Amino acid sequence: MRYQTQRLAYPYFVVALLLFPLQVLVGLWLAANYFITMPQGLVDVFPFATARAIHTNLLVLWLLLGFMGATFYVIPEETGRELAWPRLAVIQLALLAGTGVSAVVGFLFGWTQGRPLLEIPLPLDLVVVAAALMFLGNVAMTAIRARRWTATQGALLGGLTFLALLYLFGIPFYQNAAIDWYYWWFVIHLWVEGAWELIVAALTAFMLMKITGVDRRVVEKWLYVELGVFLFTGVAGTGHHYYWLGTPAYWLWVGGIFSALEPLPIVLMVVDTFRFVRESRAPLQPRLTWIYIVGGVLLHLVGAGLFGFAHTLPQINYYTHGSQVTVSHGHLAFFGAYVLLNLTFMYFALPRLRSLPGGAYDQRAGHWGFWLMSAGVVGMSLAFAVGGVLQTYLERVGGQPYMIAAQPIRFWIFVAFVHGLVVLAGATVAVVHLLRLRAPVPPPATERAAGATVAVA
Amino acid sequence: MSEKAARWIFWVGTLVSLGVLVTLTVDTHARFAALTHADKLDAQVVAGKRAFERHNCNDCHTIIGFGSYYAPDLTRAYARLGDATTRCRLETPDVAFAASFRKMPQQHLSPEEVNDITAYLRWISEIENHDWPPQDSAARLARSTERLLAGASLSPAAALIAQNNCLACHSLGNQGGKVGPRFEWAGARHGAEWIAAYLGNPAKDDPNTQMPAFSTLSHDDRLTIGEFLVALAANRGER
Repeated sequence: MRYQTQRLAYPYFVVALLLFPLQVLVGLWLAANYFITMPQGLVDVFPFATARAIHTNLLVLWLLLGFMGATFYVIPEETGRELAWPRLAVIQLALLAGTGVSAVVGFLFGWTQGRPLLEIPLPLDLVVVAAALMFLGNVAMTAIRARRWTATQGALLGGLTFLALLYLFGIPFYQNAAIDWYYWWFVIHLWVEGAWELIVAALTAFMLMKITGVDRRVVEKWLYVELGVFLFTGVAGTGHHYYWLGTPAYWLWVGGIFSALEPLPIVLMVVDTFRFVRESRAPLQPRLTWIYIVGGVLLHLVGAGLFGFAHTLPQINYYTHGSQVTVSHGHLAFFGAYVLLNLTFMYFALPRLRSLPGGAYDQRAGHWGFWLMSAGVVGMSLAFAVGGVLQTYLERVGGQPYMIAAQPIRFWIFVAFVHGLVVLAGATVAVVHLLRLRAPVPPPATERAAGATVAVA
Repeated sequence: MSEKAARWIFWVGTLVSLGVLVTLTVDTHARFAALTHADKLDAQVVAGKRAFERHNCNDCHTIIGFGSYYAPDLTRAYARLGDATTRCRLETPDVAFAASFRKMPQQHLSPEEVNDITAYLRWISEIENHDWPPQDSAARLARSTERLLAGASLSPAAALIAQNNCLACHSLGNQGGKVGPRFEWAGARHGAEWIAAYLGNPAKDDPNTQMPAFSTLSHDDRLTIGEFLVALAANRGER
């Protein structure tokens, strides 16, 4: 850490990390609703729908806070100057955290816009827009004053601006449900397969440059290629959500072809990461940070790339659309692509924010956190996948009524629940570990030497 | 690859894809009215959509496949359930799903809200979306009904033969195994009563037989199979 304002990342990380286990806990409650028959009296006051809104909104909020914190860490170092308005960043965090609390309390009392993932009502939307403007203004002003532009910084800023603009499509009330869902995907799809991928690629490139010491020109050249392929496949790939909502038939072709190519940029990202690791000029320390980087790109590929590809072609999607297959893909993709990236960046940045010598830290509990979480989410996604295939076969192909077909799936959601307990344990360990990072005791002499090299790099 | 080529890949890839999305969005917009029957999208349907969102229905149900997966898809719910059942479930879900392992919250909808949401579900049940979802597709229902009829037209004896997996050893037509005699032949040698008794205890007639006893089948069921086999033999017309 070279700049004082990089410390602003810390409170963002803390709030994000506190929300993460809470989100998992609500997820467990959702799973329980599948295999336990909840009494009518409880369903009337706290229905599945309310808990689901809390689960998904907490996810989006903590991931975004993590991205913003990471940006505040990256921008001073990339531009070579302090953040333009540090106090504004604090106000922005207060606004967003306040929005989160109001939204959750509001949901409990039925205050909702009622559109999945975009449930927060208009007044809160406006607060989010204000906070987003503060954020973009702050970051842009820093870059403008510095007059130094890098591809990494450009990708990060571009992704964040794109993200903020797309959010606007989700705000109005649309009379026609088909048009409503059409633009709903501008927010959801173009976030997770557009803007967020830009942010992830930029943050990964930044970390790889700092840790491996590989030349910036090489890293940024491949960043351009990755992003080009991400956006080429991802933007028109929005079409894979447009098959069945009342659109012309050409979307079956456009969506099918572009989205079938969507795993390519992720493969490229995996290849690039492995290459930079191989060419690294510095020893790869601490090991846990590496496990996170490599585990992240691999689960990104499996969850987003392979599980997504499995049901993206219209011939298959006709039967799997809107089933537990989607749930399986969603969980593994969000975890592999965005949860792990956020945690990776925190493992990269927090030791530096705490001025631990050479970015080294006591890793022991962290390994447990990573493996429990990852094994839990993989197992959970596989259980959802079995449930999804069952549902597809019984309901969609066999024509059984939904509730008859739902009966045998209850067991598989129970299996997912058990894995969810493992995820909760892992997440709690990882969060506690991150919040209490300490210098390794006693620091081995070799690691100290290695750490010194990293600090210089 | 040069840095310049990398930049080209980025800009060309991004702009081509964006161009495709924007062009098709403009075209799709022009066709939404026809595909969704926008002429039937009156004030009541819009009020229904608002009520649907106010009560957060979409965080349990999917509609056109989007939303949450905890409850049935509502795209064709109106067509599937009809007007009266749709209303009943909206008004008194606590009664409608009293016996179900999954409940729907009683949200005490006003009579107007029930009317509006019903109108909204009726409107959406008619949109043209390439015949999704499959479980409510008329074309696919016709096919599954055909299959059902084919199943129902099987004779009770054929059903018993299938149920007891007789074709694992015996064959019938071009199906089945070669361990035991063909069914078309078996009935030619014995009467139906004999076959019924044999099925109950094959070892009595042939101590070395591999044929298992089907003593768990009732005498009536065994007689049904016997009559079927005798009838098959009569139809062969060879001996």
